[in-house]
Amino acid sequence: MSTTLAEPTGRPDTEGTWAVETHGLTKRFGNNVAVNGVELLVPRGCAFGYLGPNGAGKTTLIRVLLGLTHADAGTMSLLGQPVPKHRDVALARVGAIVDEPRFHGHLTGRQNLQILAAAREAAAKDRIGPSLERVGMSHRADDRVSKYSMGMRQRLGVAACLIGDPELLILDEPMNGLDPAGMHEMRDMILSLVAEGRTVVLSSHLLDEVERTCDAVAIVDRGNVIRQGPISELLAGASVVLQVECSEPDRARSLLGASGVRADIEVSESGLGITLPAGASRDIIAEANRVLVEGGISVYRLQEIQASLESWFLQVTSRLGATE
Amino acid sequence: MTSVGAPAPTPLTAAAPPRGSRDSRGSWIPTPAMISTRFMELRRRRGLMIALIVVNIGIPTVFLLIRLLAHAIAPRSYGPAGGYDIYTNIVAGLMYVFGFIIAATLGCTAGSVDLTEGMFRHLVVTGRSRLALYLARIPAGLAIVVPLVAIGFTVVCAVCVLAAPKTLNYDGANVPAGLSLSGLEHWAADHPNQVVCNFSYDQPISTNVSCGNGPGGPGGGVTIRGPAPSGAQPALTPAKTLAVRIAASDYADYRTHFLYPSDSLMVKSGLWIELEAVVGFIVGLGLASLMGQRTVPVILLIVLELILTPILSMHRIPHLSNLQRSIVGLATAHLEPGGLPLAFSGGGGPGGHAASLLLPESTTVAVSVIIAWLVVWTALGAWRMMTRDA
Repeated sequence: MSTTLAEPTGRPDTEGTWAVETHGLTKRFGNNVAVNGVELLVPRGCAFGYLGPNGAGKTTLIRVLLGLTHADAGTMSLLGQPVPKHRDVALARVGAIVDEPRFHGHLTGRQNLQILAAAREAAAKDRIGPSLERVGMSHRADDRVSKYSMGMRQRLGVAACLIGDPELLILDEPMNGLDPAGMHEMRDMILSLVAEGRTVVLSSHLLDEVERTCDAVAIVDRGNVIRQGPISELLAGASVVLQVECSEPDRARSLLGASGVRADIEVSESGLGITLPAGASRDIIAEANRVLVEGGISVYRLQEIQASLESWFLQVTSRLGATE
Repeated sequence: MTSVGAPAPTPLTAAAPPRGSRDSRGSWIPTPAMISTRFMELRRRRGLMIALIVVNIGIPTVFLLIRLLAHAIAPRSYGPAGGYDIYTNIVAGLMYVFGFIIAATLGCTAGSVDLTEGMFRHLVVTGRSRLALYLARIPAGLAIVVPLVAIGFTVVCAVCVLAAPKTLNYDGANVPAGLSLSGLEHWAADHPNQVVCNFSYDQPISTNVSCGNGPGGPGGGVTIRGPAPSGAQPALTPAKTLAVRIAASDYADYRTHFLYPSDSLMVKSGLWIELEAVVGFIVGLGLASLMGQRTVPVILLIVLELILTPILSMHRIPHLSNLQRSIVGLATAHLEPGGLPLAFSGGGGPGGHAASLLLPESTTVAVSVIIAWLVVWTALGAWRMMTRDA
């Protein structure tokens, strides 16, 4: 199941309409299917989260997209360029971090970037300074990488992406190793990159970070993309929970049950927890309130609890035994 | 705490090329920038560079320095530091083998570190041709190996020439070095006693010559008597005539003795050890790229150079002669300049004699084997790099 994503507009046809597009992409390791016929559409100019539990095939898909390993079946394109056929053209406009960013430890951060810039176009060399400055590494750029912390190597990895002035950034677990402040700063930087018109694909299992950063997500589980679309649309399909603080919770439950309100109702010390089915009309909330008040129940508080990406993620992935 | 999310002071897009424009990163030819940064990456491996310098320059230098000091302190006990024999033994016995090993070590490093240190993935993601990434390592590595070998070799040449013996001791006689046949004959005519009494001569001698310090024993005079040899020049005494004949017969052996290596020999042997170093680097690069690691390929190449090649070069294995000929060490040994002792033999006689110990192999075959090793290992290393999962 997938939610239809709105196609971005204003792009030349020659560049394609999607930043990333895969059809039937498959990658096997022996009998293990790491990527199983993935159909993925990533719109341009947004932050796109690629979510999944450990071992779901997130990194493998990224490795296939970047040509780090070959696909066994399917087609794919980056920025409208089919890969691997036009891999060099496509990757010229892509920056990526895959797994933990590692560099030559005996060289400084700047020297490592010089090596990578030399493999890119000539102008990349001029972007080394600005890239280091942007990720806040200017003051440590001339220290050896072996002295860097994990978080600093993450930043250097992002700088390595930026020296190519990429239109598409693919970041695999970019928050790894960052402290809370660093994660906040990374999130701001990703948002600023998107604001510049770049597309950022973010692979992560940190759902809260993805929810704060991304406009759209795809959920991958056991090599399959099981949901994808804008976060707001996906969450709209999640269950709605009403938290009700009231007097006489047991009688309140009986009243609601007798009224015909279709919901799962649980009694707690302070009141009721009412789980409404996905897509339920807001009128049901008003109806429940009316039933309670007319039944003589004192309602102290009635609150709709918004479904979070985390709760939705757990609903749809196999970790909770979903039937996908 | 620095701010990761701070606005970019300099817009990153300022210097960007037009998006969608095709650049040359799909080309298999590495750019000068790729080569120079690869050179920088290798050169800044401090431990490796120190090891390479110590082995290739330090060991010969220290060896020669000790000889210089020993000769300066006790010249009668210790001979001159330089000279022809020292040169030939250092070049064929030390620099040839060590040059290969250091070059192979550097090649193995260049062929594996991107993978083991996690940079290979970053480089592949740039979209640059993997073949170009591989080929960039060759000139970068050779730019280190070739000068290193050249510096060590230059030190050896300088000491062997400048600190060479002043006179040539030939068969116990002090003879000027580098004479032509007529020059040696003239010198023999002027020093008949030294020639007749010291030079080897396998014909009957019947001329009266007194060898006060000759082979007759310490302090004992030796008188060689007999008629003058036929065909002697009338102007010369019989002793002088005999000395000239002896000199002429010994000239072929005499001309293999030098105070110091000739310019021609130094050039040839310099190119020869550079060839061996280049082979070591290319093979090391390919093998390490193929195996994806450094340690095992280095060990394999050291075993090849120090154990297998000497054994295979000295023994003929029935039915496996062609296999033996395909060993690159034997092929380069066949290209060894005349005048050097046989490589892998640990020194000894001049090349003219020692070369006959090698398995027979034409120069064409030897050159073909070397080219085949360079091409095959480069192809294997490049193929593995192009097909390897990053």
